[in-house]
Amino acid sequence: MRHTRDAMASPNRTARSAVVTGRLLGIAFLVCFLTGVYSHLLQEPLGWMRFPTRPVQLYQFTQGLHITAGIAIIPLLLAKLNVVMPALVQTPPVRSVLHLLERASIAVFVASALVQVVTGLLNTYQWYPWPFPFKQVHNALAYVLIGSLLIHIGTKLQIITRYWRKRDSFDAQGRFVADPTVGSELPDPNQHDPNDPAGQEARPGSASPSGGFVGRLHRWIDGTPAPGPVAPATDTVPVTRTAASADGRRQRVARRGFIAGVTAATAGVVALTVGQSSAVGEPFNVFGPRKRHLGQNGLPVNRTARAAGVLATATAADWALTVAGPSVSRTFSRAELIALGQTEARLPIACVEGWSQMATWKGVRMRDLLAAVQVDPHVHVRVTSLERHGGYRIMEMGPEYTADPTTLIALELNGEKLDLEHGFPARIIAPGRPGVLQTKWIERIEVIA
Amino acid sequence: MSAVVVDNRVRTARIVLVVLGVLVLAFGAWVLVTTVRPNRIGGLATWLLGAVVLHDAILSPFVLAVGMGLRRAGRALRTWVLVVVQAAVVLGSVLALVVLPEIAAKAHGTKNDTVLPFDYTTRLLVVEGVLVAVVVIALVVGAVTARRRPDQPVVAGTTSP
Repeated sequence: MRHTRDAMASPNRTARSAVVTGRLLGIAFLVCFLTGVYSHLLQEPLGWMRFPTRPVQLYQFTQGLHITAGIAIIPLLLAKLNVVMPALVQTPPVRSVLHLLERASIAVFVASALVQVVTGLLNTYQWYPWPFPFKQVHNALAYVLIGSLLIHIGTKLQIITRYWRKRDSFDAQGRFVADPTVGSELPDPNQHDPNDPAGQEARPGSASPSGGFVGRLHRWIDGTPAPGPVAPATDTVPVTRTAASADGRRQRVARRGFIAGVTAATAGVVALTVGQSSAVGEPFNVFGPRKRHLGQNGLPVNRTARAAGVLATATAADWALTVAGPSVSRTFSRAELIALGQTEARLPIACVEGWSQMATWKGVRMRDLLAAVQVDPHVHVRVTSLERHGGYRIMEMGPEYTADPTTLIALELNGEKLDLEHGFPARIIAPGRPGVLQTKWIERIEVIA
Repeated sequence: MSAVVVDNRVRTARIVLVVLGVLVLAFGAWVLVTTVRPNRIGGLATWLLGAVVLHDAILSPFVLAVGMGLRRAGRALRTWVLVVVQAAVVLGSVLALVVLPEIAAKAHGTKNDTVLPFDYTTRLLVVEGVLVAVVVIALVVGAVTARRRPDQPVVAGTTSP
């Protein structure tokens, strides 16, 4: 155990590295949590809730951020787990009941973080190779993850405050300053067990022979000192100072290499996928699971008419939309809807899976349609799709959307007749809502309050 | 382990964070048991445990070995060459981790043609090829400039002087 731990000793596996990677990871998890809760509440609001409809791209932004931050978490989480690897094999494994609880909370945190990130990523690929429902588990684990993260920050707070600032973390030579009073579980890269030869490479002054597997391993890795002085050493410089500055330089180089690797991985993986939800990233969309402007009417498709089981009903000649008010109920054919007068709106389709695209819609305003059945537009409505099954067959909409002048019963998309895959004969489009609530192939709108 | 000294303000903040954390965690557990059927929670438990085991027992030792290999290979490299090589290896690995499941998902079948529209295998190979090219160029340029300027010391990378 101890040998494994010494083999892991590195200038990048210090409390300071854990704080630096942990800060970034903490921010990314918080962003994912808040944007995730927002997306969840949009889909399952508590009765009293109202949501902003401006800017119309709000949900496109929050959900794009959710997925992008989630993708950035992959390299950051791996980096953080790499930094704290020596704590995994600490001796003794458990020091007290409190320490056992703390380690258990970290196990919960790591497990839920890994499962959230892996299942979240695969969800963007629409692949679900696991034996549990994604949406419910993703929602529940988010609280488990954030709860265990708060516990983790709490238990490590002394270390976090001690190594928050760079100037408190390194000495004048750039070497990590280990502070044994804060209780870090990571080894000090400057100090090594005197009985263990593994650390000799960090102390060029001492050339005592070393044995054991780890010692041999480290000699194989680090070999004999590289030829030539690293620092412009002169004879007047004391040996200890040269050694200290050389060691400081070694640690700085290691740290910069690590930061360069994590930055390259995070920036690279984000840049090559963010084009599915951002116009800026579109030219670099190499690995995004979606490509903008690809699909019927120049827009990607999620659920097809065939999958929804509406091939016959949506194309039936006698299709009509029923609008049921408390006193008046009317049905409208597609031609009658067009005759009510159409309005154009620029609204994005923004999917919970992260992809999004702006589009031009043309159709009847919801409030005009409600006026046609003598209803004030500030009402709750229930919209039913022709879909035979599926969790989003019935959708409810609050007054902030029904009264909004851009909420349409869309009949045209991007200058063409609405394609069957996009909800022909008519669909809903409203500002700032997730794609799953932009109900396609609608057959009934009912005023419920 | 030396005695851990805890500041009073830190102690208060710590208690608040831990209590809040336990409450949020308990809420998550409650949401889980009230929205997910019990027979599915068993499957989730397997995934949670499996994720930790896969990471700690397979991925971590692998990363540790690669890191040691880089450290050995890097001891004769100039600093900037080593940094370029490290960054390329890390980026290449993370891209593979993200894109390989995407290739598997596409092979598994998509619901329509606008889902996973690209040829991800070719694209991954091209990007990894570019990264290999960057590494080779950095190594060659590093070697050539080191030969031209023999008076410049070769930096021992992340290793000892």
